[in-house]
Amino acid sequence: MLALTVLYDPDCGLCRRAHEWLAEQPKLVELIFVPCASAEARKRFPQLDHDLTKKDLTVITDEGAVFFGPKGWLMVLWALTRYRDWAYRLAKPELLPSTKRVVSMISQHRYQISRVAGI
Amino acid sequence: MTIGISTYLVYLAISIALTIWVARTLHKNGRVFLVDVFHGNESLADSVNHLLVVGFYLINFGYVSLALKLGYEVNSAQEGIEALSVKVGMVLLVLGGMHFFNLFIFSRMRRRSQIRHNPHPPVTPDAFTPVQQEA
Repeated sequence: MLALTVLYDPDCGLCRRAHEWLAEQPKLVELIFVPCASAEARKRFPQLDHDLTKKDLTVITDEGAVFFGPKGWLMVLWALTRYRDWAYRLAKPELLPSTKRVVSMISQHRYQISRVAGI
Repeated sequence: MTIGISTYLVYLAISIALTIWVARTLHKNGRVFLVDVFHGNESLADSVNHLLVVGFYLINFGYVSLALKLGYEVNSAQEGIEALSVKVGMVLLVLGGMHFFNLFIFSRMRRRSQIRHNPHPPVTPDAFTPVQQEA
C-alpha cells in the first residue's frame, strides 16, 4: 500500500484542524486529502456512495478498500510514523468497541465541538 | 603488601574480568537482534552494538571504581574474603541489572521495528470500490 485517500468534511473546523495537524506528521503511507462528495472525489471513486461519505470520515486505499468512520481514523493513525503502534493498540478486540464509541461521538458532534472551540 | 591492598587488587581483577565477559557476551549475541531490527543493515547494527557496549563499560567501570573503598580496616584473610564477597556480589548484581536492561532495550527495539513495518492494516475494510486511475 502506497497511499490512502482521505475523504474529509471541508465544512467542519475540527476536520480542517485535524487536516493541518496530519499534514505535518511524518508518515509511513502517503495521505491524500480530498473533500468529501466533491467532483474530485466522484471522479476518483465513481461507484462509491458519496452521500454516506458526508456523514463520517472515509479512507480508501489505492487498492479500493474502504474504511468508514472509526476504522478510517484508525487507518489514518496507522499511516503515521509515530502512531502506528497506537493504531494496533486501539484496534485490539478489547479496546475496539470503546474506540469506535468515542470516535463516533466526536464525529457526530464535530460541528458543535468546532463551534465551542472557536475553530 | 597488606591484606587491605590485596583485597582491593583481587576485587579489581574479578570485577574487571566479569565486566569484560558480560560486555563481550552482549556484544556477540546482541548483534543478531540488531541486524534484525535494522533490516539487515549490518554496518548500522554493528555501530549501534558498539555504542551500547561502550555505554555498558562506562557504567560498570564507573560503579566498580566508586564502590572500591571499604571504609574499615581488614585485619585477617577471613575479613578480606568477606569484604571481597560483598563487593563482588554488588558488582554482579549491577552487571545483572544492566544486562537485563540491555536485553529489554534490544527486545523493545525489535518489537517497535516489527510494528513499524507491519504491512497489515489494524482493521478490516468495510467495503471495496473501484478506483479510477489517474491518466
